[in-house]
Amino acid sequence: MSDNVNIYRPLKASVEKVIIESPLIRSFVLVPEHDFSFKTGEFIELTINGYGEAPFTPSSSPLISKKLEITVMKAGYVTEKIHQLKTGDVVGIRGPFGQGYPLERFYGKEVLILGGGCGFAPIRSLLYNLIAEKDRLKKVILCYGAKTPEDCIYKPFVEELRKVDKFEVLQSVDRADSTWNEKEGVVTLLLDDIQVNIPESVAIVCGPPIMMKYGTFKLLEMGFPEQDIYLSMEKNMSCGLGKCGHCMMGKYYVCKDGPVFTYAEIKDQAQIWL
Amino acid sequence: MDSVIQISESNWHLFLQKISQEMNVYVPVKDHMHIDYKHFDPDGPEPEYNHPLPVTPLKLFFLPVKENVVIHEEIHNKNLIIGIPACDLKGLELLDEIYLDDKFPDPKYRENRNNTILIGSECHDILENCHCMTYGVNPCPDVNADATLVAMDGELIITAKTSKGKELINKCKTEFPVSGPASELLELAEARRSAVLERLVNQNRYLPDYTSSGELISRSDEAIWMKHARTCVSCGACAAICPTCTCFLLIDRPDFEKVRQLDACQYPGFERIAAGEDPLHGKPDRFRNRYMCKYVWKPEKFKALACTGCGRCIDCCIGNISKNKILAELSESS
Repeated sequence: MSDNVNIYRPLKASVEKVIIESPLIRSFVLVPEHDFSFKTGEFIELTINGYGEAPFTPSSSPLISKKLEITVMKAGYVTEKIHQLKTGDVVGIRGPFGQGYPLERFYGKEVLILGGGCGFAPIRSLLYNLIAEKDRLKKVILCYGAKTPEDCIYKPFVEELRKVDKFEVLQSVDRADSTWNEKEGVVTLLLDDIQVNIPESVAIVCGPPIMMKYGTFKLLEMGFPEQDIYLSMEKNMSCGLGKCGHCMMGKYYVCKDGPVFTYAEIKDQAQIWL
Repeated sequence: MDSVIQISESNWHLFLQKISQEMNVYVPVKDHMHIDYKHFDPDGPEPEYNHPLPVTPLKLFFLPVKENVVIHEEIHNKNLIIGIPACDLKGLELLDEIYLDDKFPDPKYRENRNNTILIGSECHDILENCHCMTYGVNPCPDVNADATLVAMDGELIITAKTSKGKELINKCKTEFPVSGPASELLELAEARRSAVLERLVNQNRYLPDYTSSGELISRSDEAIWMKHARTCVSCGACAAICPTCTCFLLIDRPDFEKVRQLDACQYPGFERIAAGEDPLHGKPDRFRNRYMCKYVWKPEKFKALACTGCGRCIDCCIGNISKNKILAELSESS
């Protein structure tokens, strides 16, 4: 990084579009002042001017640098304010930060993705990347779970994904209703319904901490090696620079060494499931 | 002998008075019960150069309690800090690893570092909780200072260690009479040094070294942390006063400005995330976290020491918690 760059100063970006994904989740299409590139799985800090800042992994394609999209669940002080954003509002972004998904390690393999709730956001960005590189992959299976059918996000994207060659989509909800014709139950149940050649596969997990924990345990039980399970960890990444200390997970700064880790890397660290 | 001079304390203070026009000169001065850095004042109390231990840790000159890290200030004060103990100088190594890393060097920290001349001084006395030697830190500054100083019998011996230090000494030499160090003063300094080393070793003979402390803390069970956290009031003084604790909060201000404010893992909510989950919710968890960070996690990640044995966290604790007693207790029960 050049000496003239101030690592704390955000780049301004305007809100082009607000998409209501579910009662608690909204996506925001942002147009930065100048091109902004990121690798899938890396994250940004989004600043609400004078109010606060929070980390998000973009949910848009990493192949596009003119715009980026973030998907935010209303969960706390800053996210509540983000949900009030309207078209034309100006926010700040810093980053990209951290280590994303190591795509080169997925080439030639089957990719099993386990996602829950708002954890679909980083996964969608990854899926855009995997679609672009599908010739280098054997197949991709997405197992996605949400609480109820109305909590399922990216519905149009999921429908498009089902049509893509080599991509399979399975969904579950904790509580189904009459509109739901897929699985009912926790997302890990979907793993009983898939065909995957484990020695030739990698697994990716992203979702709420409890789902990450039991999802990982189920994958281990299925025989996935620890080093082939990729987890996108959620911590209080505040500065994004490996300095402020709020996101420490044992010896790791999640913001700098992660947020994507293999289970083998972090299994002995403190409080990984919070 | 160019880099070592002997100068009378009165002449040195005339030099400091002169150089105060160009930079902020800080010297250690006795303030009630404590020694602390004050602006040099020719009419003020005499500096106490070789007394341990300024209350203010050196880090606060580079990481102020609060600093706007986005706005650029054209005018920046230059600092000359005199009388820094070896433990604080050693602590700079961790700060530099974190704040001047290759990927994201912190511009304000770098500016603050570049604008400062550091003069270390050896300790001719020890405080109740001093334990630098236990962690391999020599109480005579041998690293990270631009110059070192020892004061005895109205005379000072100043040794330049870097080009910044040499430049300062050269400036002093052009205007004030200096000489090479007298051998009897060097001998006296050596005798005081040896006496301090012996007292430090004796005072801390029950204390495990840095690596062993890490092993003991890793293996420890919950009970000891529950017991010692009982009187902790989560005030964060231990972290605030620690020369190597550098965690901070980034506060947003209008115009996309950000203020870096020192923070502490001892405060409730330090690791809380948006949905409300908080891995350090319990006080004993926070309490142990600081020990794990200093003796287990930081050593796995950084070359520098994350505790340099200054003992300030013990001196300042209103809950009367002694890190050294806990480590000795862990060592005894192992």
